[in-house]
Amino acid sequence: MFNSLKGLVVTLVSTMNGLRAPVTRQYPDSGNLLGKRDEPTPVKDRFMGFPALTWDDEVGEPFCTSCMVCIRGCPTQCMTSVMKDNPLHEQEKSSRRKIVDSFEINLNRCILCGICVEVCNFDAIVMSHEHEMSTSNRNGDRLDLPALLEIGFKFQKDTDWIPPTKRVKVPKGGAAEESKTPAEAESP
Amino acid sequence: MTQTSENIVPNAEPVEMLLNMGPQHPSTHGVFRMVLWVDGEKIVDVVPHIGYLHRGSEKLCEGEQYNQVITLFDRMDYIANFNNEHVYVRAVEKLMGMEVSERSEYIRVILCELNRIASHMLFIATMGLDAGAMTPSMFCFRGRERIQGLFESVSGARMMHNYFRIGGLKEDVPDDFVAQVREVLELVKKDTEESDKLLSFNEIFLARLKNIAVMSAEDAIDYGLTGPCLRASGVDYDVRKAAPYSVYDRFDFDVPIGLDGDCWDRYYLRVQEVYQSIRIVEQALDQLPDGEVTSSLGRRLLRPPAGEVYVRGENPRGEIGVYLNSDGSDKPYRIKVRPPSFCNLSALRQMLKDSWIADSVVILGALDIVLGEVDR
Amino acid sequence: MPATILLAISLGDFIWLVIALFIMFSALSGVVLSLTWLERKVLGRLQLRLGPTRTGPMGLMQPVADALKLILKEDIIPASSEKALFWVAPIIVVISAFMIWVTIPGTQNAVIQNLDLGLFYIIAFSVVGILGLVLAGWGSANKYGTLGGLRAAAQLISYEIPIIMVAISMAMLAQSLDLREIVNGQDDYIYFLIQPLGLALFFIAGLAEVGRTPFDIYFAESEIVGGPFVEYSGAHWSVFFLAEYINTFAIAALTVILFFGGWSGPGLTGDWGIIYFLLKVYLVIMVIFWIRGTFPRLRIDQLMAFAWKVMVPMSFLTIVMTAVYQFYGWPAWSLTAMSTTGLVVVGIVIYKKMTAPSKLVAETRSRRAALEAQRRLPATGGGD
Ligand code: SF4
Ligand code: SF4
Repeated sequence: MFNSLKGLVVTLVSTMNGLRAPVTRQYPDSGNLLGKRDEPTPVKDRFMGFPALTWDDEVGEPFCTSCMVCIRGCPTQCMTSVMKDNPLHEQEKSSRRKIVDSFEINLNRCILCGICVEVCNFDAIVMSHEHEMSTSNRNGDRLDLPALLEIGFKFQKDTDWIPPTKRVKVPKGGAAEESKTPAEAESP
Repeated sequence: MTQTSENIVPNAEPVEMLLNMGPQHPSTHGVFRMVLWVDGEKIVDVVPHIGYLHRGSEKLCEGEQYNQVITLFDRMDYIANFNNEHVYVRAVEKLMGMEVSERSEYIRVILCELNRIASHMLFIATMGLDAGAMTPSMFCFRGRERIQGLFESVSGARMMHNYFRIGGLKEDVPDDFVAQVREVLELVKKDTEESDKLLSFNEIFLARLKNIAVMSAEDAIDYGLTGPCLRASGVDYDVRKAAPYSVYDRFDFDVPIGLDGDCWDRYYLRVQEVYQSIRIVEQALDQLPDGEVTSSLGRRLLRPPAGEVYVRGENPRGEIGVYLNSDGSDKPYRIKVRPPSFCNLSALRQMLKDSWIADSVVILGALDIVLGEVDR
Repeated sequence: MPATILLAISLGDFIWLVIALFIMFSALSGVVLSLTWLERKVLGRLQLRLGPTRTGPMGLMQPVADALKLILKEDIIPASSEKALFWVAPIIVVISAFMIWVTIPGTQNAVIQNLDLGLFYIIAFSVVGILGLVLAGWGSANKYGTLGGLRAAAQLISYEIPIIMVAISMAMLAQSLDLREIVNGQDDYIYFLIQPLGLALFFIAGLAEVGRTPFDIYFAESEIVGGPFVEYSGAHWSVFFLAEYINTFAIAALTVILFFGGWSGPGLTGDWGIIYFLLKVYLVIMVIFWIRGTFPRLRIDQLMAFAWKVMVPMSFLTIVMTAVYQFYGWPAWSLTAMSTTGLVVVGIVIYKKMTAPSKLVAETRSRRAALEAQRRLPATGGGD
């Protein structure tokens, strides 16, 4: 009896809390009680959306050399690609001897595991933040090279992407980390 | 169905009715199907049917490279992905005789325990729904959502993380990880307390769950129950304590046990396990060492030596075992999983006999099966 | 207005009746729309959600959208069903639900046809609805439906008895079965004050009667997936839905009329009392939603045991108390005292019955604590 009454109180109190700060985040916008619509529902920095190819701005060509490493590493075999000789290399503009000619990812098969990004040696593929790509035809999510580059370009622009191999390595276990961990351990 | 009605219920009276429950039933937790023999509202017998979610995961594993198999393990018990990944990477590491850095072990344990909390929260939610209470589910989903958000910021995915690697992790956790986890833990503790207050001792809930489907300790052991279902019957057995793996031997935590072995014990034990997991995570955060987390193997193709290993671990649902047989190539020769849900499900018939139809959903809910793991 | 004999009504009266029925029908439909919206909002807030927000401001158009969807949706009739029963069942349910409202007064004058035997009429018609549920369950040729129909029959008939008993004792207090008289009888003090036991019984039985949580057993979604309604879809299903909400509204209205003095309240006189009436009714309904957002569901055997072991004897007791009070002409507080004692007894009975497992739990916990203390001592020594 008393526990039931306690339960009634709990729900009532949660109503009060709910009125003040409901936990719902509305999709796709995060509109609140008064119907105000703010920024779209954010994703975390590391969010793994659909894979996309990156664009090398310095040279003006894709990073991808179509080396097939990611294609062999993909657990669902959802990618194909074809390689060609790089015309820019012949003109001494680019260091890549081979370049991607065509690339296709069947996003309906992709399981967003990120293995392709991990194995690529050329920083050529990223997990973009794109995750809303439903289409109404069966093969609507087979993306070819331009589409992938477009998603990738948007991702690069949005996140100020730097190729992982060119990133400055933060020293691991160095002083920066050392000083932080105990400080945070005490804070709560 | 190989059994005919005659050999299940030898003296079935014509008044008894065959009631099909599932695979599209809101309370069979996925695509489980059971055919109930009911006499009015009483269950006389039950024939469970599994296999609706069979994806041949074990066979698929044989066609994938060692690092790709992790994605398949993610999808077996899709509520406790990190725990599944953990036991698999431990199996390969054992086969290769590999040392894993302290830091990555600690992060693994933190993530696994957080995943245990998330899984148990989902259990509490569905338990409430099965018993007819809607609100606890929302309270628990709030807490689970916080943990999922944390996972997203760590691994980039909310459920299918693919974050553990053989010999380490995919990448180090974000800089504010420790602070984030502490914040989430505080909130999750509050959420759990709230739903605990709302549901656990509610008289109607007690009346629905107490003394339902009592399993004695002997029966539970005979049926091969593991995890909370076994401990609810009073058997003090937890792989984390019985055969400590990873860094579990460095933490001080209790293994809650039930004494009556009924549905309520199975429920409440999980609520308590949430608190214990929070304790473990707090200790692990305090002890979290620095160091490398990515494996020295880098992205090289793994070719473990020929041989076989069996590794077990404590999943939220019970003891998971992975048998791994390697022939020295880059793909496992055979992987066999001992899924806790599947083994726990074997006790269903004894539990359901002579209970009410309304109890069947509660009993099934208290077993906490995940069909992805039962059918694999 | 004296009671009109239906067979001898004039044309004018007949036209008035048709218009009045039409008004009632529209008003009740509006009420149902408001209730569905309110239920979703209230439940949402109880559960830290928002409820509907997208259709119209604050999701106000959601019920309209729902209604449109339900009407336009394909109405699937299972091939193996008893077509006639399948068709007629929702009609029986909804007509009985509407018929109750013919005689429920909103104020002294806001009533379509006041009957001297109003309470009797309401009880009689509310039983008819059960027939519809049983037919629906049987006619849909679905085992879940059949189970649900049978559960409905058992549950609703069992809880009809306490409702009738309590209603009778209230009628005894007012010395009339006419609902207007009952409200007028509460001028001095509302009956809730002198018969709290009656209110408790009536409210609980009312919850069971309209199948709200914790008594939503006959359509328990997680067990028998909708019971009698499992095969219904589209317009047919919406008719059941309509009936369910009208019944909820009716039970709340009856609670208000029998125990909370109907439309009487300070300040407003005459037909303005309907504001009080609606206010009170919606408050009672909020409580119903609140309970729905908190409690789990009972099991059918516990439900029946509760009905026959607690509700029925206690409702007999209310009659006896009221009779004694009326016969000896004792002061009002004596009935209050008796009734409160009864309520306490009920509370203790429920407490004893329902906390039996709870005691077990306490025992288990202490045993477990002892065990754990034992186990922990050699292991860690220091504890945490
Ligand atoms: S994306 Fe990377 S791994 Fe894949 S083909 Fe291109 S360069 Fe090779
Ligand atoms: S994310 Fe995984 S599944 Fe998708 S393309 Fe990359 S490797 Fe293949």
